[in-house]
Amino acid sequence: MGSRRDRNLYRELRCAGLLLCSGLFAFPIQAQTPHNEELMKFTGQPGRRGGRLVLALRSEPKTLNPIVAMDEPSREVIGVMQADLVHINRASQLTEPALAKSWKISADGLRYTLRLRSGLRFSDGQPMDADDVVFTFRVYLDESIHAPQRDLLIVGGKPIEVRKVNASTVEFLLAKPYGAGERLFDGIAILPRHLLEKPYLEGKLAQYWPLSTPAIQLAGLGPFRLKEYVPGERLVLERNPYYWKVDEKGTRLPYLDEVDFLFVPSADAQVLRFQSGETDIITQLGAENFSVLSRQERGFTMTDAGPGLEFNFLFFNLNGLPSGASAETARKRAWFNSVKFRQAVSAAVDREAIVRLVYQGHGTAIWGPVTPGDHRWIEAGIKHPPRAIERSLELLREAGFSIGNRSKGDRTLVDHEGVPVKFTIVTSASNADRLKMATLIQDDLKQIGMQVQVVPLEFRSLLDRVMQSKDYDACVLGLASYDTDPNSDINIWLSSGGTHLWNPSQTHPATAWEAEIDRLMEQQLTALKFAKRKKIYDHVQELLAQNQPMIFLASPDVLVGAKNKIGNFHPAVIEPYALWNIEELYHRNDGASTK
Amino acid sequence: MRYLARRLLHAIFLLLGASLLTFFFTALAPGSYVDEMRMNPQISADSIAALKAQYNLDKPVPIRYAMWLRSVANGNMGFSFAYDVPVGPLLLMRARNTLVLTITATLLAWIIALPLGIWSAERSGHWPDRTITWITGTLLVIPDIALALGFLELAVRSGWFPTGGMVSIGFDSMTLAEKLKDLGAHMVPPVSVLVLAAQPLLIRHVRAAMREEFGKGYVRAAEAHGISKKRILWRYALPGAANPLISLFGFSLGALLSGSLLVEIVTSWPGLGPLLLEAILARDLYVVTGGILISTVCLVGGNFIADVMLYWADPRIRKKETAE
Amino acid sequence: MTIRRTLAAWLLFTGSLHLIVICAGFLAPYDPAEQDREHPYSPPMVIHFVDAVGHFHLRPFTYLLKPSANAFDSFEANTTQPVPIHFLVAGARYKLLGILPLRRHLFGGGRGRIYLFGTDGYGRDILSRILYGGQISLFAGLLATALALFFGTSIGCCAGYFGGWTDDILMRGAELCLALPWLYLLLGLRAFLPLSVSPIGAFFLIVAVVGTLGWARPARMIRGVVLSAKERDFVRAARGFGASPVYLLWRHVLPETWSVILTQAAVLAPLYVLAEVTLSFLGLGVPEPTPSWGNLLSSLQHYSVLVSYWWMYFPAVAMVPFFIGYLGLASSLQEWADPAKIEA
Repeated sequence: MGSRRDRNLYRELRCAGLLLCSGLFAFPIQAQTPHNEELMKFTGQPGRRGGRLVLALRSEPKTLNPIVAMDEPSREVIGVMQADLVHINRASQLTEPALAKSWKISADGLRYTLRLRSGLRFSDGQPMDADDVVFTFRVYLDESIHAPQRDLLIVGGKPIEVRKVNASTVEFLLAKPYGAGERLFDGIAILPRHLLEKPYLEGKLAQYWPLSTPAIQLAGLGPFRLKEYVPGERLVLERNPYYWKVDEKGTRLPYLDEVDFLFVPSADAQVLRFQSGETDIITQLGAENFSVLSRQERGFTMTDAGPGLEFNFLFFNLNGLPSGASAETARKRAWFNSVKFRQAVSAAVDREAIVRLVYQGHGTAIWGPVTPGDHRWIEAGIKHPPRAIERSLELLREAGFSIGNRSKGDRTLVDHEGVPVKFTIVTSASNADRLKMATLIQDDLKQIGMQVQVVPLEFRSLLDRVMQSKDYDACVLGLASYDTDPNSDINIWLSSGGTHLWNPSQTHPATAWEAEIDRLMEQQLTALKFAKRKKIYDHVQELLAQNQPMIFLASPDVLVGAKNKIGNFHPAVIEPYALWNIEELYHRNDGASTK
Repeated sequence: MRYLARRLLHAIFLLLGASLLTFFFTALAPGSYVDEMRMNPQISADSIAALKAQYNLDKPVPIRYAMWLRSVANGNMGFSFAYDVPVGPLLLMRARNTLVLTITATLLAWIIALPLGIWSAERSGHWPDRTITWITGTLLVIPDIALALGFLELAVRSGWFPTGGMVSIGFDSMTLAEKLKDLGAHMVPPVSVLVLAAQPLLIRHVRAAMREEFGKGYVRAAEAHGISKKRILWRYALPGAANPLISLFGFSLGALLSGSLLVEIVTSWPGLGPLLLEAILARDLYVVTGGILISTVCLVGGNFIADVMLYWADPRIRKKETAE
Repeated sequence: MTIRRTLAAWLLFTGSLHLIVICAGFLAPYDPAEQDREHPYSPPMVIHFVDAVGHFHLRPFTYLLKPSANAFDSFEANTTQPVPIHFLVAGARYKLLGILPLRRHLFGGGRGRIYLFGTDGYGRDILSRILYGGQISLFAGLLATALALFFGTSIGCCAGYFGGWTDDILMRGAELCLALPWLYLLLGLRAFLPLSVSPIGAFFLIVAVVGTLGWARPARMIRGVVLSAKERDFVRAARGFGASPVYLLWRHVLPETWSVILTQAAVLAPLYVLAEVTLSFLGLGVPEPTPSWGNLLSSLQHYSVLVSYWWMYFPAVAMVPFFIGYLGLASSLQEWADPAKIEA
């Protein structure tokens, strides 16, 4: 921190200053913690202050208001400017204290008592206390605001209740015990009451904090605060001087002075910018671009962070038949509803080729929704059968299908009435990876005699078909869990769920195994111990593997790249992949490669 | 004057018809922007219904068209679902980018094509004519898409030009000279493609028009009188050929907004073309209708300007009108 | 050369190019949808006559490519395994002209693979895909041309012959069609229509869309011809004799329009082939795995492909000879039809 002489000089000056100003100022000028802040200690590699980080965003954020933000760029920027009570550490995938320094869960699992760090201040210098927390949750839970977070805060059908105990303690009351209770708080940004209460009471909160807001009207508890916004070009954030973390040496985080978000609309343009050195970090890379960049690593290193949480799958239309459906539709629906049919398709798919050709090896074949990236929840016992055409044909024979030879030498699969098996797979036209997967599957299924057409649809038309009109045969889609906990995807597995893709929003479970999955998911929702929940969820995974409503294909690795001078760069497999520890990133002064 | 009034009315009729057609086409397409929100399990059905109502997507199509027409008359072209901004400013900004490209390209194309066409017509049958015809023939057979992709490959391999986009990062902080240089470098591939693609048509038409004039009696008479070639060209032949040339120029003007769609998409130039493609794929109704409308306005306007210029330049048209 | 000779030469040239494409089954070594998952993005193989040791072989050969150690997309020639090129080999089944089932191909690699133009991301042979893709693109363009000319001629004849209100309305309609930016309207219309299940359906859809949008320009030209033909003496005479309008149009007026129709056909055909290519390029045309020149080029929109795999550019080069043929045909047709008005 400087030589002994400097420190002495500093002390002298300080005393002189105190004497001078004691009568004039209401509070001391000392730079140490005047408010007795309880800061969080960062135990990783300490870095040095200074430097600017330049990043690319796929599109301009639409807002800086956490209550309204639904699109990804907005959430990414807001995530850097705001903080939550309990945070999920992206590297360990476990919860850790954030604004709340500790918490207690009552024995019945219904009451969570959180103790806040005292003495913390917002980025504009105003103090933060329990009133802000209560106000925050009041806003999120307000029905007239339609905040996207509201749905997350409803447990057991009822919104959680928030009560202030004292200035640094808040109590949360749940209607039913919730196994993943602590994880509820991750991403719920604590809002400044001193700025937002007035617009909230006037009913104008949803329009507040657009991108054009002047910096002094914004406040948050995140590591950075807004410095300037240039429409169409960039968004610049600067260090929040009141950030509540320090490193082991006592230096207040974040290390970086500034973060620049540039708006670069296409993936290819982002690759170009990164390659030319204009941006420092690149994430959400496709495998092909990753290869291109890996070939010439000049001053930067490309990292394969390992399997992510995205899982891609093929699913069939298992909805009930609409009235007036044609005989052809009825026949196809009957094929799809046969478990052996689906198992046969699963046995015929060449997952290794998908990993090789679509992800260029940077991916893993999966047979269930939990990818190897989720190391806590993955069920090791699920079978991973390799591709076996013979097994597939055998299953089809058992299901009543038979295979014949056409004149051209291709096999044709026919059902028990002699009708050849033909159907279409729809997929999103804008996602090149899934299109490729669908084309590979089409070729695979040709080997067992099925004639498949791949129909790329515009994404919104695709969604319309799958969720609304239910007018499709099969579909290749992918989903990326935003958390490793299975509750984040619960709407997929519950038969009443809106994203229960193969037969959404059922009033009663259509099959016995779906009913069983419903029961199990409800059970693990309220179970409190991890071991118990895991056992239940393993059972769910096994049911999925047996009945194959979704034929799981592959999961891409998280591919990122960063300049060598960025220290503490530890990409994670959960979003935000590279920025989750942005307050720890710093500029190395050696600049040498880390290999 | 009546002639002009008639042409103006004609233009307005075309615009109305175009807007009707495009609005109905896009409105009948399935799927809408809010469907994407449905895929996100965090967002409830209520929020989505609220959004749908906010954008008026639940009213029948003719009413939506009427509402849109009324707001356009007020200068408000609707709201973009995807970008969450009013359509007008969005379109204008992108149109400005397109115009930067196409105005440069059109000017350059004409500056190159006019002298070449005239030269080719003068030396008809000799080697300048033959070379030029050969070159334009070659250019004509290379499709736009091959040219654009070819230039992109060249840019990527040689590194001489940036491979896409309009400006580099940090454009705002550059000096004026640097800005011009940066913009210029980015413009080279798309402008080259547009200029090259336009040459064959322009040169051939110019040549044909000039040849026709050169063959006429009064030019021969002027030659016989010993008037210099230069004077004949500037004072006699060119004004005579003005009619088809001005029509051609009107056509060039009209294509300012719509002619560069493919080139913009391939070179990632942030103009009207990529915006429209994106909006079509995203079913962003008002952007699509707005985009087609302004490019139709440009097309119709270009032809109208050509009509005005013709009226002013060609006394025969004025004569015809007074004779009617 | 006389005009007749030039015309014949161009016809021969264009015709043989089309013949090559029609015989795609015979000339292409592989089925266009056949994937070779071991060799995605493999570069074009060079034909050698002299091997690594320096011996000369009469039968040309290429080298098998083996994947490089580290990446999935780089290959090196395996000089220990030459693949001799056999001619008239038996290969994938195909139907010549859609009727004759055959198995013979012009050349092939026997047990080894020959990729003269390289492979794409699925390991499919690009040469085969260019040939088969040509079938789709050219056929779509020509069919659309026929459709546009059919509509254009009918409407032009009606407008020119009947005149009055019919003429006004039809010509206003034509102007409206011409006033809209063509490509924009094409995209919009295509995107609005549902994507059909089969490639055949998509193919006919493209033909219909392109063809129906294209009637305006030929209609105007035909109308001009009809207007002048209407006033000809022999037509007036026939009318005086009591001939019905249909008879007049069919017997007397239409023959006058032939030259215009033919010239327009040669001018429009490349335009419509290009329209199909553009639609497929933008992803709104013929779907996978059916090849079309457009969707063969669409992967070039990705920077990684542009930078790494230069042989994906071949389909663009393949289009050029066809356009040369069409252009030559158009200009010689124009000369032949109207020798007085030598255009270029």
